Amino acid sequence: MIRYGSPLWQPAFTSILIFLGFIGHVYAQTSSNDTSSIEQYRTTLNTYCVTCHNEVLKTANVLLDTADLTKVSENPLLWEKVITKLSLQSMPPVGMPRPGEDFYTRFPAYLKAELDTLAEKTPDPGKTATAHRLNRTEYTNAVRDLLGVEIDGKTLLPPDNSGGFDNLGDLLSVSDVLMESYIATARKISRTAVGDTTIEADTVQYNIDPKLLQNDRMSEDLPFGTRGGLAVRHNFPVDGEYVMNIRLLKTSGSALVIGINEPRRLDVRVDGKRIKLLTVGGENTGLGLANGGADKVPPDFAQAQYERTADAKLEIRFPMQAGTRTVQVAFLDEPFAWEGAIPPQTFENWDKAKIGGDFERAWRDPWVSSVLLTGPFKVMGAGDAVSRNKIFICMPADKSEQEPCARKILSNIARLAHRRPVTDETTESLLGLYRQARSEHGTFDAGIQMAIEGLLVSMEFLFRIEGDPENMAQGEIYPISDLDLASRLSFFLWSSIPDDELLTLAEQAKLRQPEVLDQQVKRMLKDVRSSSLVTDFADQWLLLRNLPLLTKNQEIFPDFDESLRQNLYTEIQLFLGSIFREDRSIMDLFQADYTYLNERLARHYGVDNVYGNRFRRVTLDDVNQRGLLARASILAITTYPNRNSTVLRGKWVLDNILAAPPPPPPPNIPTLEATTAELGQRALTLRERMEKHSVNPVCMVCHNLMDPIGFGLENYDAIGRWRTEDEGIPINAAGKLPSGIGFEGPAQLQQALLSKPDLIAGAFTQKLLTYALGRPVDYYDMPAVRKITENSADNDYRFSSIVFGIVNSIPFNMRRVGS
Amino acid sequence: MMIFKKAFPRRTFLRGMGAAISMPMLSAMVPALATASESKMPLRTGYIYSPNGIIRERWRPTGRGLNFEMTDILKNWEQVSDKILVLSNMNNGASETVDGHVGGSSMFLTGVEPNKSLSELLVGTSVDQYIARKIGKETPLPSLQVCIENAAELAGQSNAGYSSAYTNTISWSGPTTPLPMEHRPRAIFERLFGDGGTDPVARQSRLERQKSILDFVRDDAAKVKRRLGLADNHKLNEFTEALRSVEQRVQKAEQTADVDLPDMKRPVGIPAHEEHIGLMYDLLHLAFQTDTTRIFSFMVAREYSELVYTHLGHTDPYHPLTHHRGDPVRKRQAGEIDVYHAQLFGNFLAKMEASKDADGSSLLDNSMIVYGAGMGEGDVHNQYNVPIALIGGGGGTLKGRRHILYEMGTPLTNLHLAMLDIHGIPMQKMGTRFGESTGVLDLSASS
Repeated sequence: MIRYGSPLWQPAFTSILIFLGFIGHVYAQTSSNDTSSIEQYRTTLNTYCVTCHNEVLKTANVLLDTADLTKVSENPLLWEKVITKLSLQSMPPVGMPRPGEDFYTRFPAYLKAELDTLAEKTPDPGKTATAHRLNRTEYTNAVRDLLGVEIDGKTLLPPDNSGGFDNLGDLLSVSDVLMESYIATARKISRTAVGDTTIEADTVQYNIDPKLLQNDRMSEDLPFGTRGGLAVRHNFPVDGEYVMNIRLLKTSGSALVIGINEPRRLDVRVDGKRIKLLTVGGENTGLGLANGGADKVPPDFAQAQYERTADAKLEIRFPMQAGTRTVQVAFLDEPFAWEGAIPPQTFENWDKAKIGGDFERAWRDPWVSSVLLTGPFKVMGAGDAVSRNKIFICMPADKSEQEPCARKILSNIARLAHRRPVTDETTESLLGLYRQARSEHGTFDAGIQMAIEGLLVSMEFLFRIEGDPENMAQGEIYPISDLDLASRLSFFLWSSIPDDELLTLAEQAKLRQPEVLDQQVKRMLKDVRSSSLVTDFADQWLLLRNLPLLTKNQEIFPDFDESLRQNLYTEIQLFLGSIFREDRSIMDLFQADYTYLNERLARHYGVDNVYGNRFRRVTLDDVNQRGLLARASILAITTYPNRNSTVLRGKWVLDNILAAPPPPPPPNIPTLEATTAELGQRALTLRERMEKHSVNPVCMVCHNLMDPIGFGLENYDAIGRWRTEDEGIPINAAGKLPSGIGFEGPAQLQQALLSKPDLIAGAFTQKLLTYALGRPVDYYDMPAVRKITENSADNDYRFSSIVFGIVNSIPFNMRRVGS
Repeated sequence: MMIFKKAFPRRTFLRGMGAAISMPMLSAMVPALATASESKMPLRTGYIYSPNGIIRERWRPTGRGLNFEMTDILKNWEQVSDKILVLSNMNNGASETVDGHVGGSSMFLTGVEPNKSLSELLVGTSVDQYIARKIGKETPLPSLQVCIENAAELAGQSNAGYSSAYTNTISWSGPTTPLPMEHRPRAIFERLFGDGGTDPVARQSRLERQKSILDFVRDDAAKVKRRLGLADNHKLNEFTEALRSVEQRVQKAEQTADVDLPDMKRPVGIPAHEEHIGLMYDLLHLAFQTDTTRIFSFMVAREYSELVYTHLGHTDPYHPLTHHRGDPVRKRQAGEIDVYHAQLFGNFLAKMEASKDADGSSLLDNSMIVYGAGMGEGDVHNQYNVPIALIGGGGGTLKGRRHILYEMGTPLTNLHLAMLDIHGIPMQKMGTRFGESTGVLDLSASS
């Protein structure tokens, strides 16, 4: 064979290597991986790969010249990398000489077989964090499930670190600020939960984004026939009187309430029951400022004062019983009838009008800006909220019963909070807090409240702790306990603590019985709590958390407003939810013939006959409107504020759909803009600019993977609308996957991806496994990933088959003893 | 370039030795050598911002040095006149391209011209946040940002094409990160005192309660660690360390728990405007007194504020009044608002002077409070010659009762550098273009 003594061989011998390539892929037709096959693999590697991947160049730190093909099991890290690249056929780089198709099938199969056999013999479950802090989402859900109190974790706790997912144990640390938040939050939650009648009045303010259009019914939680406003879940801590103040949107310059030339009615309800119908507007004493009153000399001060303060009287005092309830505030749908042509209410003219100072127009309907709830005043009792029923499983009839009852209450709640049987030691400590507050404040409830306050800051509530069993040596592996398995299941499927049923089975050591486990996982997937797989897992997997922060250039995309943004989010959540909940094949993500639309979104996509603000399932006749890669939310987060990006879109697909992220770009890359003016006559299309990548060998290695996928999506603009031209030139949406499969346009691109379902399922499994374990998936997990993927193939890649595969996998069930 | 009356920190001086520096500069080093650590008491820093400019005749004293007349506004602070420095002829950027309101507030503490955009915010880190980076860790709250109006209730996000973030705050933790200002007294009160009250009994009982919880959590954690054999688990140790530092804060708070504070219940809702500013000052005073924070910024109203000062008998809103166009009634009323703001600030100063620090010096002795506006002439929106006063003893580093006339057009960022210097924070430069600093302001100049 050729020996590579110095890097100087490279240019001189490249042509020889390429020549050799033509003879390299002639294989002996053997059915097993015998010695002669291995020799052929070696020859092929030498011909096509070691040009770059050798001891001297060390490209990507993959050294294939010295690696021993007969001892694959000695270097799983290296060979897993090779499997990834060859499965996707992304190496050798697109455009360079490549081995035949046969090699791409047979060689990875050989490597996988070797590595999977190794894993079978000596499984490596990896190591999840010993102490895994609950993140903000899990804390919020745990409080809901433990105490029946719904809190807004985002306003109470600081955000968590994220490394793709925000539930990775190694990244979840405890800062001083977090500790203070835990202490303050525990007090708030515990007082609300027990219905502390000494609680002081407090104000909670709910704001509506001033850019959200309020022209329609805003939520399924608001009554029909209403417009604008909001529905929120609010905690009324005790039975008592509360005050609601409603603020209307004001102009930003002169702070005048908008749209109150004529009377409007505001419908105020709690849990669907009307508590008041308020009227606002139309009480102008003079010429409305927006109707020319502002230009009067002298100006009409009384009118100005009225328009500034008209919403101050929107105050209601009302009695309410304790509990978390839905507060609904909305205008009756009585749109203002304008005489003459109405200027269009779009954001196209919003800023223009504002800058011109004439935004403050009477043609607007009034919008709700915020709702403030203050209370309690006149406390009437602790009430009968869900939380009290959950906590007070006994009530002492007299003083002698108090302590036994407290013991019962606290050990019951501590068991659920700590997700394991309670030790007497823990119960005693909690009783200590109970006794202290009981004697200080003189009431049973006060004692219970204090103990719960402490429980919510206790280490075993805030951390999932998986300690190694005693008497085991470093590096040994063992199956985790039933209790730890119960927690892994509930934090995976619910982002929350186990419920009584799950915990009881774990305590009885029945959870590992196959039919019990099977039945429990099915039950958990059916439970509404599993919606966290959409709102928490899928949100992070597909980078949907970037959607609320997304900005678009308002001059180019005036349509991209707050309402569209929220609608796009709703659509993708409903779509993903349908795949998961209906237990469809995850391949349906790319081929389902439906989505969820309301009128605004239907217009956005160009779908006819959808009216009203309500979302409904709509069948899509046009194949180019189907699938994840046609969803405007995805298309919008993978573009720049002012234009498309084939790179971002290609990278998004490689990262998230194929789990084959390209390496970061090298330093000192020239900008594409420097090359744009060449044709002189006209601006280049994005495609033309991107094609420059494939000219430069430094760029092409990665861009030949990313750009073609992006080209396939060029028919969608930066906010996901269909288009046929870019800069006046017809779109060319043709491209090729690294495997050589060609496509033209988005529908064919998705079909091309689906031609390798194992790649998609494997990538999805890696993401879901990462989330399930709360640690990054590494090379030693790949045999498990392959097993899950292969088994799910027999089940048409149904969502549940992957979930079950994970639940039954080695890394989910086992752990390694380690320092 | 000639540099007059700029205090020159030794560090800068040494670094600049290669450059030509004339001998008379040496005298300017004196205040720099006398910086920081003279007083062992913590140094507090506050920035109070008046929007829409201040009517010049009401503010600007005649005379300079020790001999200056107290004007309508300054008169309100007479009781602490030996701690007042009036700093004149300073420019707050004075860009011709940025709207005065936007530039006024966004450049006030940054010296950087804001990026004109509704979505892409870009200005600079503000001086209060540079200080917070250094000393913020020593108090429960690194810094406090306070205002009067609720920005969330206003439509749109635009003022002349600029995001309203530029006019709703003066504090920026980074060039792209505005720190929203809190207008709810309750929210601030809770950050200071939790959900209790200010009287010693309530404070003491809250601290006792917190200690009980902390004791329980600490003991429980120790038992769990022992039970599970996880004494050296990194994450769990992080938990107990955080617990310990909260305990230390509670202990610190206990040391001041018997300090007599004005009796205050947790405010509910938003008070009427005439009580709102005073209440905010009371809370800021409490924050300093309890050493809950050592840095605040306060906008007594937002730029473009349309509040109507009805209790002064006004019917026109604040912002339009400042565009008085020479109309004597409107100009008088705009001035009345300025004087009113100064009165409330005067009450704050009196309380700061009356409160004693642990060594018997007053809180004001150990403070540096900047009071001023981002516009010189509100009527025509310019940022030239802005009204600025620096009040307080600076922990022994400042000597007051002077009206200093600097070279016309001295950048306001020079003052920021001087205050950073007193905090022992070396910084060569602040601001860009028109806001760019030219040196460290000489606060010891005699006139």
